[in-house]
Amino acid sequence: MVLPLFVLAVALCVALAGWAAWFAARDRAVILRQLFGAGAVEAVLVLQAVVAGVLQVRGHDVDGALFWGYLLTAALLLPIAAVWAFAERSRWSSVVLCVASLTVAFLQWRLWIIWGAS
Amino acid sequence: MGAAPGPGATGGGFGRLLVTVYGILAFAATGRSAYQVATKLDEAPAAYLLSLLAAAVYVVATIALARGGRGRWRAVAWCAVLVEAVGVVVVGVLSVVVPELFVEATVWSAFGQGYGYVPLVLPFIGLWWLWHTRPGQHAPVTAPDEPTEAR
Repeated sequence: MVLPLFVLAVALCVALAGWAAWFAARDRAVILRQLFGAGAVEAVLVLQAVVAGVLQVRGHDVDGALFWGYLLTAALLLPIAAVWAFAERSRWSSVVLCVASLTVAFLQWRLWIIWGAS
Repeated sequence: MGAAPGPGATGGGFGRLLVTVYGILAFAATGRSAYQVATKLDEAPAAYLLSLLAAAVYVVATIALARGGRGRWRAVAWCAVLVEAVGVVVVGVLSVVVPELFVEATVWSAFGQGYGYVPLVLPFIGLWWLWHTRPGQHAPVTAPDEPTEAR
């Protein structure tokens, strides 16, 4: 049921990573609009938290500490990385955003496995 | 942030990426080891406490590199990155030669295999970067030939 939310998050992350990679290749730093993109990813993560919380309360069996630890990490990663990337005004700024987005995508994959594991 | 890229700075340019990867590894290692210590410490106390120690070293390295690597922070960064390099090699060799020592995986087991070998590669890139950005090695960035006009 929550699969669309994972797919959406991964799709947004990959899109954001691609956008940042394109900027890195063109020797450009992160722009504000890309931070809004990161904000969109965050919005999906918050939605995931709400839905997961509701489903867990309704009895979905999941390793709580593991799942919430991963989700919290994923949610914290992008804002911190975005600030860190935005302060740098070279192409490495875009590389940072690209790496951070791909990491969140990877965390989403792990979250999906943890969610369905039990 | 105060870490303006310049001579001797470790947090700017390529250093931005290095600190990012360090930060992600620090996050991952801290989260995982905290979870292990909190939920199943009695299963393999040595391995999990070693993981926690390794995670702490990654956190220190991340902060020291992000601080720009000036003065004392540069020394801290050297120490932290060296500890990681030695740790991943020693634990990596031990975990292959004497596998029964590390029944439960740590960050450094099998040379950081569980983390895509990032723990093996990262300290050596870190050492190179600290060496590359060592103070007193950078010539002024402005062109030496023609005198630059004052703005």
